[in-house]
Amino acid sequence: MIEIEHVTRRYGAKLAVDDLNLHIPRGELFAFLGPNGAGKTTTIKMLVGLLRPSAGTIRLAGHDVGQQQTAANRLLGYVPDVPYLYDKLSGNEFLRFIADMYGIDSREADERIREQISIFKLHEFVDDLTESYSHGMKQRVAFAAAMLHDPQVLVIDEPMVGLDPRSVRVIKDLLRKKARGGQTIFMSTHLLSIAQEIADRVGIVDQGRLQFLGTIDELRARVASHESSLEHLYLSFTAPQANGQDAAITPASTEESA
Amino acid sequence: MTSIADTWGDERVVVNAPTEELLLSPAAEAQLLWRLRSRMVRTMLRQALATARLRVTLVVLLSAFFWYGLFLLFGEGFRFLSHTIAHPVTQAQTVQAVYNVFFASLLVMLVLSSAIILYGGLYRSAEAEFLLTTPVRPERIVLHKFQEAIVFSSWGFLLLGSPMLVAYGLQVEAGWYYYALLLPFMAAFVYIPGGIGAIVCMLFVHHLARLRRQALLLAGIVLVGGILLLIWALLAKTEGNLLTANWFQEMLGRLQYSEHRLLPSWWLSSGLLEASRNDAGQPGSAPWAESLLFLSLLISNALFLRVMAVAISSRIYRKSYSELRTDHARRRPRANFWLDQAVLRFAPLLTPQMRLLIVKDLRLFRRDPVQWTQFLIFFGLLALYFANIRRFSYDVNYTAWVNMISFLNLAVVGLILSTFTTRFIYPMLSLEGRRFWILSMLPVRRESVLWGKFLFAVVGSSVPCCLLILLSDFMLRVSPLVLAIHQLTCLLLCLGLSGIAVGLGAKMPDLREESPSKIAAGFGGTLNLVISAIYIVAVVLFTALPMHFYLVMSQTETDSDRYSRYLIAGIAAALLTGLTATIVPMRLGLKSFRSLEF
Repeated sequence: MIEIEHVTRRYGAKLAVDDLNLHIPRGELFAFLGPNGAGKTTTIKMLVGLLRPSAGTIRLAGHDVGQQQTAANRLLGYVPDVPYLYDKLSGNEFLRFIADMYGIDSREADERIREQISIFKLHEFVDDLTESYSHGMKQRVAFAAAMLHDPQVLVIDEPMVGLDPRSVRVIKDLLRKKARGGQTIFMSTHLLSIAQEIADRVGIVDQGRLQFLGTIDELRARVASHESSLEHLYLSFTAPQANGQDAAITPASTEESA
Repeated sequence: MTSIADTWGDERVVVNAPTEELLLSPAAEAQLLWRLRSRMVRTMLRQALATARLRVTLVVLLSAFFWYGLFLLFGEGFRFLSHTIAHPVTQAQTVQAVYNVFFASLLVMLVLSSAIILYGGLYRSAEAEFLLTTPVRPERIVLHKFQEAIVFSSWGFLLLGSPMLVAYGLQVEAGWYYYALLLPFMAAFVYIPGGIGAIVCMLFVHHLARLRRQALLLAGIVLVGGILLLIWALLAKTEGNLLTANWFQEMLGRLQYSEHRLLPSWWLSSGLLEASRNDAGQPGSAPWAESLLFLSLLISNALFLRVMAVAISSRIYRKSYSELRTDHARRRPRANFWLDQAVLRFAPLLTPQMRLLIVKDLRLFRRDPVQWTQFLIFFGLLALYFANIRRFSYDVNYTAWVNMISFLNLAVVGLILSTFTTRFIYPMLSLEGRRFWILSMLPVRRESVLWGKFLFAVVGSSVPCCLLILLSDFMLRVSPLVLAIHQLTCLLLCLGLSGIAVGLGAKMPDLREESPSKIAAGFGGTLNLVISAIYIVAVVLFTALPMHFYLVMSQTETDSDRYSRYLIAGIAAALLTGLTATIVPMRLGLKSFRSLEF
């Protein structure tokens, strides 16, 4: 469903993403892990069409995002780390705008909006202007908007930032449910605990390069073989020396990368 | 057709749909974004009427006052022309020349302003970033932001142009169709520079992304050079005396560049002048038909440019957006800038904390091009005008005239400064509130924060303003006494305007708003601007009027002592007003800021 092939992105002289290869099938919840500045957000911005790869190709549900980005966006739901909502619209109006944008029939849209309001517990504030929302409220409305058209691919940048524990639980359960239902989810986070809990596979990226790619079990197996904790292993992948040839633990399972 | 097989999942999924079928139709997209905009505008109006009635009333009344004032002014101007120039052909030529120059200047300004506004809207706005992640076509996003840019860049034209055109229509007793055609003409005209601005903006970003800085510098040099040459040519000393027939002929000759038949400004002025002809009753005369011809020319060119902009945007907008966003090498700011070091080392009267706060504000100002470029443009233009003041054929030997011009220059400097203090100084405290968790952790008294801002504003404004006034006085060859009074008045303006902006900013902070422009556009900002304008008028009048009488009377040597006393009294009144405008708002601000809860 998501195919990233030999993708590189430069910012001037800086290499933000370096020859990235990823294939994420339908129904998989993929967690993209890495420290700040590792290249997670750049990858996401290329997926959703804000940036173009300097080299390589990205396909979403068969659409080459370089050539058919607008059509690819039709199949995509995107929740950025800082969501954008129109200040002078209420949450309800914003959701209606999104439903209209995706061409959802009016009656169907009413039904879906009601459902999202119920899932994300938006009742209390959904008719207020979004300019009065806290970050967590905005994040919940952004999730509802991204889910509204039942996208084939859901891309989420740092999903749990600013959410209260109840909302975090709701979103974790929902993402698992959506993945089971066949939705492909690409989620970036720097929190290993979230990936551990809900992801099918994780990719650990640092300084633009994929350092590890595999399931949580494979990561655990690596922990056992190195007699190390999961957290220690993760840190070793993203430690400064891990990027050189003399890495303490050489990532073995990156066969999908270059 | 798109056809792809995904073979990694449990099921084999085939996506097989034409790209266009996945999207809304272009018309549905347009309607959707139009509905979005109208809903937001309605909400804004409802909010403004419910929560800021005073501000809305003030804005409407001031706009109406401004419009009517311009209408009277232009009416007088056209009457003056009809009395001064008896010959109807010369009179029509003169009006056409005025229109041509006015609309040609507007054409250039509208191209620049719409390109700049669109650059912000298309490449820097959060809304564009959001829309680019949705299935809205890129060309629709460009058109959506284009409409916004047209409105933002051209409302001034409507406010400035409509009283002039209505006044002219009344002067020449134009028929009803002249007034009916005004709006279509103006709308069709502004669409053309808007379209050119959009195309220039996208092509510029697309092709020159890598060379942006150098290209900008080059374009800036060419533009400034062109403007300088134009001003130089226009203001070169005329052979004849001011407002004589020779002078008119010479000026008309110099303005011929604006009569080029390919300029939309010429189509606009010709179309409007045709419509204003009041000989429709005569056989064979159909002024409205000639006028409609020019209107069709404007509309067809506007539509052609729209088609061009749409075609270009569908090809390059997404690509250029990506290029621009990834074309920045991270630059580290200079840590040891000489000005920062000078403030830190050589400001013995200030506490170390206050010095650090001032240096912080200096760094923020320096690293925000929005602030210093506006400062540079406006004060640069003023400097250009002052440096060329002798070319305006002012008679520097006529004392009262020189005195009036010099004080008008002082008032203009003050008015421009007041827009800066409203836009940049007034919001500072509100913005500081968002960072107050840092300030509250530091061993800094709240008063120091406020005094730091005040000093920053006073020193930052008085140096360029006093230098500008010095330049104006030098060019006008005023006497040392007038020069000294101007410098004192200028200092008082800087002190008072800084006190008003800092004090009111602390008294009425908006701690929720992140955008300084929105804070400045709020009620507090509007009040700040109005009080500042009243203050400027008061201080300038207190010094200008006694000075005027003193200079006139000292030449005739009749009772000059009496006028010296008036002059001293005027200066005392200006000093008193200046101190009041500085101390009262600062006291109110300090009191409010001390008890403010963040």
